[in-house]
Amino acid sequence: MKQVMTWLVVAVIAGSLLLCGAGLEFGVPAYHDMDDYMIAHGQEETGGNNIVTDVVFDYRGFDTLGEATVLFTAVLGIGLVLRTLAKEDEEYEYE
Amino acid sequence: MNMSNLVRTGAGLLMPFVLVFGFYIVIHGHLTPGGGFQGGAVIATAFVLLIVAHSRETIRERISLGFLKNTETLGLMLFIVTALIALAAGIAFFGNWLVNTGSLFGTPVAFGINPGDLNTGGVIPIMNIAVGLEVLGAMSVIILAMLSVVRGDA
Amino acid sequence: MMDLIIQGLILIGLLLSAGMIWYFRDLLSAAISFGVFSFLLSLEFLILQAPDVAIAEAAIGAGLTTAIFILAIRATEKDPEADAE
Repeated sequence: MKQVMTWLVVAVIAGSLLLCGAGLEFGVPAYHDMDDYMIAHGQEETGGNNIVTDVVFDYRGFDTLGEATVLFTAVLGIGLVLRTLAKEDEEYEYE
Repeated sequence: MNMSNLVRTGAGLLMPFVLVFGFYIVIHGHLTPGGGFQGGAVIATAFVLLIVAHSRETIRERISLGFLKNTETLGLMLFIVTALIALAAGIAFFGNWLVNTGSLFGTPVAFGINPGDLNTGGVIPIMNIAVGLEVLGAMSVIILAMLSVVRGDA
Repeated sequence: MMDLIIQGLILIGLLLSAGMIWYFRDLLSAAISFGVFSFLLSLEFLILQAPDVAIAEAAIGAGLTTAIFILAIRATEKDPEADAE
C-alpha cells in the first residue's frame, strides 16, 4: 500500500511538471530582447564570430570571473583538506 | 596496481591527439564552438589519461604538481589583469579595449556569416587562453591531489 | 526522419546505459557504463545543436568523472560479500 502511494505521488508530480512543459515551444523564449541585441550587434562590438564566447567573455565577463573564482576556491579547499592527509603518508610532497 | 599494457599503450597513443584538440579549442575559441573552459577541460583529460593508466611513481616523475599550480595561478592572474587594463584604458571593467584597433587581435571582423579570422576578437582570445590555462591547471591539480592520498600501491 | 531515428536510438541507449549503472555489481563496469552514458548524452547535445555543452560534457562527464571513479576504485578494496550475490 505504501509503495503504491509513493508511486502515485511520483506520477502526479511528474505529470504536473510535464504538463507545465508541454505548452512551451522549443527554442522560442518568452523574453528575447537581449538575445536579439546580442545576435545583431555581437560581431561588430566584440569582434568574435562565436556569439557564445562573446557573451561569456565580454557581455557577461563578471560571471566568468565568478566561475574562475569558484574553480580556484575548489582547488584551494581540496589542497587544504588533502594536504594534511598526504602529510600523514609522507609519500607525496605536496608543495 | 598497474593498469594493463593495453591501457597504457592506448593512453600514450591518444594523449597527443587529445592535447592538440584541446589547444585547438582554446585558440579558436572566438571562432568555433567551445572556448576556454571546454578546451581546458579537454587538455586536463589528456593529463588524466596518463594519471589513470600509469602507476603513482611514474606520474610523480613525469608530471610536476608545482608546474600545474603555477599554470593555474598564471591563468587567473592573466584573466584579472586583462580585465583591469580596461579600467586603465578608460572603459568599464571587462571592457573590450583591443577590438577594432588594428593591433594584435584587433582586425575588424566582417559582418554576417563568414569563416572568420584568427586575428580578431579583441581581448576575447586572451581571456580564452587565460581561462584555458586556469581550468587545465585546476582540474589536473584536483586529480593529482586525490591521487596523492590514495593509500597502498595504487 | 533520419534525425528522429538517431535521436530515438540515442535515447534508448541512454536509458539502457543508465540501467546498466544500476545493474552491475562490479564497480569498474558501473564506472565505464557511466562513461558511456556521458558520451551518449554529449551526442544528444550535439544533435540538439549545442556543441559547446557537448564538448564540456564529453570532457568532464566522460573523461574526468570516470577517471575520479576509477581512482577511487583503485584506492579501495573489493568487498568480498559483493561477489556472493
